[in-house]
Amino acid sequence: MPDPEVKIFDYDKIEIGEELGSYEYTLTQEMLDNFRLSIDDPDAVFPTLAVKHDATAFAMVYDDQTGGVNAGNEVEFFNPPIPGKKIHVTGRIADKYMRRDKPYMVIEATAVDEDGRLLEKLRTYQMKKPDEVGKKWHPPAGAQ
Amino acid sequence: MEDIKPGQQIPSVTKSVTQDTINQFENCGILDRQNIHNNPELAQQRLGTTYPIASGRMSVAFAAESLRRFFGPEVFNHTGSVNLKFLRPVKGGDTITVTGEVASQEQTDAGAEVTVNVFCENQNGDRTAVGIGTAVIK
Repeated sequence: MPDPEVKIFDYDKIEIGEELGSYEYTLTQEMLDNFRLSIDDPDAVFPTLAVKHDATAFAMVYDDQTGGVNAGNEVEFFNPPIPGKKIHVTGRIADKYMRRDKPYMVIEATAVDEDGRLLEKLRTYQMKKPDEVGKKWHPPAGAQ
Repeated sequence: MEDIKPGQQIPSVTKSVTQDTINQFENCGILDRQNIHNNPELAQQRLGTTYPIASGRMSVAFAAESLRRFFGPEVFNHTGSVNLKFLRPVKGGDTITVTGEVASQEQTDAGAEVTVNVFCENQNGDRTAVGIGTAVIK
């Protein structure tokens, strides 16, 4: 059962510019270490990429049973986050549109730390018809 | 940074993607979420694939490493950007190589903004993502 605070996602009802609210979390050294291991990059400094700030903001507001597939990501880096500091994230729905008969939604998030340092701006282009992936890349036998 | 010229190659990075690394990436989040990246049943239900797919954000991280090595961390970690469009799914067992070359350099108020064309390819030579990376050199 979805959290009663969480709304059921309906693509037709979301609005461009809709605020997804904000949340805070503390970045830990363990999160940074695990991120570095997951991408095999000991010098990586933006574990925020794996926290998926925009998608997390969206998931805190909407229960999306359809899901989606990332068609693209845009990220701007301003300052590396520091383990032990709180990170404050705000999210919004930046756009939605149809392309080739498929619905797309653009979500974005901005992250600053407890000292007010701007860390990262992130934007995700999500295609909200994920079964298209299987149709294109993993068609059932005889459908190719 | 007069040394940077259009056509100049950036350092390539090659990454082995496994379901374990995909799961580890997903575990870095603050929500305990099952998704198409870490749950095969959910991937089958939503995508119609027989396997989970890696988050595109892993490829963003790979591209960021390549760009950081080119520009240096002091530049890239403070002025850098990555903009990728995902073309093909990446799954466990794939090997992704990021390459790129300088496309242009433009003087702005903040400094010289360098744009790099970025490509991600799998072990079959198929492009999984394309896009650009930028950084501003003061």
